[in-house]
Amino acid sequence: MIERAFQITPEELPEKEVWFAMGYRDSVPDERVRELVLQLRDRLVPEATLRYMYQIVEAEKLSPRQVRFDGKTFTPEGIICSYLKGMTHALLFIGTAGWEFDRAKEALKAEDDIVADFIADSIGSVLAEMTVARMEKEYDGPGTLSMPYSPGYCNWNIREQHLLFSLFPERPCGVILSDSSLMTPEKSVSGFFALGETLQRQPYHCQICKNTKCYKRRKG
Amino acid sequence: MNPLYDAIFKGMAPLAKTAVQASLDEGKSPQDIIDESMIPAMEAIGKEFEAGRVFVPNLLLSARAMKTALDILKPLMLAEQTTTLGTVVIGTVKGDLHDIGKNLVASMLEGRGFQVINLGTDVSKERFIEAAKEHNADIIAMSALLTTTMDYMKEVVDAVKADGLNVKTMIGGAPVTAEFAASIGADGFSTNANEAVEVAKKLLS
Repeated sequence: MIERAFQITPEELPEKEVWFAMGYRDSVPDERVRELVLQLRDRLVPEATLRYMYQIVEAEKLSPRQVRFDGKTFTPEGIICSYLKGMTHALLFIGTAGWEFDRAKEALKAEDDIVADFIADSIGSVLAEMTVARMEKEYDGPGTLSMPYSPGYCNWNIREQHLLFSLFPERPCGVILSDSSLMTPEKSVSGFFALGETLQRQPYHCQICKNTKCYKRRKG
Repeated sequence: MNPLYDAIFKGMAPLAKTAVQASLDEGKSPQDIIDESMIPAMEAIGKEFEAGRVFVPNLLLSARAMKTALDILKPLMLAEQTTTLGTVVIGTVKGDLHDIGKNLVASMLEGRGFQVINLGTDVSKERFIEAAKEHNADIIAMSALLTTTMDYMKEVVDAVKADGLNVKTMIGGAPVTAEFAASIGADGFSTNANEAVEVAKKLLS
């Protein structure tokens, strides 16, 4: 089990990913919105300590819907399982923007500024995703890593988060999982990378998925 | 040329504050100011959003400017007969603490002329019903981000029906679909904050 904590400078926060999280996709926000993003970035990012924990376990694709990680059967369903050909191991992870960021965001909320709340929320999402990118970059073992997949996405039942958490120590990185599978701090991520010598990394699944009702396609 | 309309459309809160005071100084009534400048500006920015020409932050900037102006008008409106489109009790359902989307909807509803009672997050069915009765609400609006918590929306809808409360229910949130809304007997459903206003208006028409 590997656990790390790190901080980033405001300039290291990928601005375009924040814009994307705010719904801009390929568009660029107007100058005023960009300035607000920078102001909040400078205020919130120095407060954040990002944390992640991961482990590499034996993995096996059991069927078009199911996999086994470390002896436990998961059901990520067909969309995800279709990308797992050649998987022999999995990198199971939990990452978080951390309690410090959560508290800074809550303090901002007391100022009753919905624009700032929205931007802060998007910054938090990007910070949480940065832990996943850090793990991916850090991995230098054999084989190819797939894209990361998480319970709650691509038809994978979010309740399986409990099963995933059962493979980690209690409160990994300080993250608490509620009965309804809600992680706190709110800006936390969990999931797995498939790993295998013959595994082929597929394009990001939204680009090839045909689920027209997925909320990832919605705006606002 | 309507400086208040422009200030709200462009999301300029300080200008909205100045412009609303200027309108009052001209002798306009608060209700006329809202009806003639503020709500049309919010409707216009909503249409821009639907057309993909502006984004969520622009909606929020306009909603913030609208709120700034409303904060000036509200104390003056207590003394006179005012009209709203209706009263909406809104909250994120029990078990769920996500509130950004719900607050966005609340702001847009308020900006377009609804009275909004925002109950926050982790709201039980009892609390929804209690607040709806207390404020004589027309609509209960529920939000959920998780598939595990969206099922609680059905419990709220069922509780409202069992109580015999004369109130419409509408739902929204990332995992919610029109099919789900229909399956639990909700009266309305929307995929974004701007559309939520149109759904609410339709429910009360």
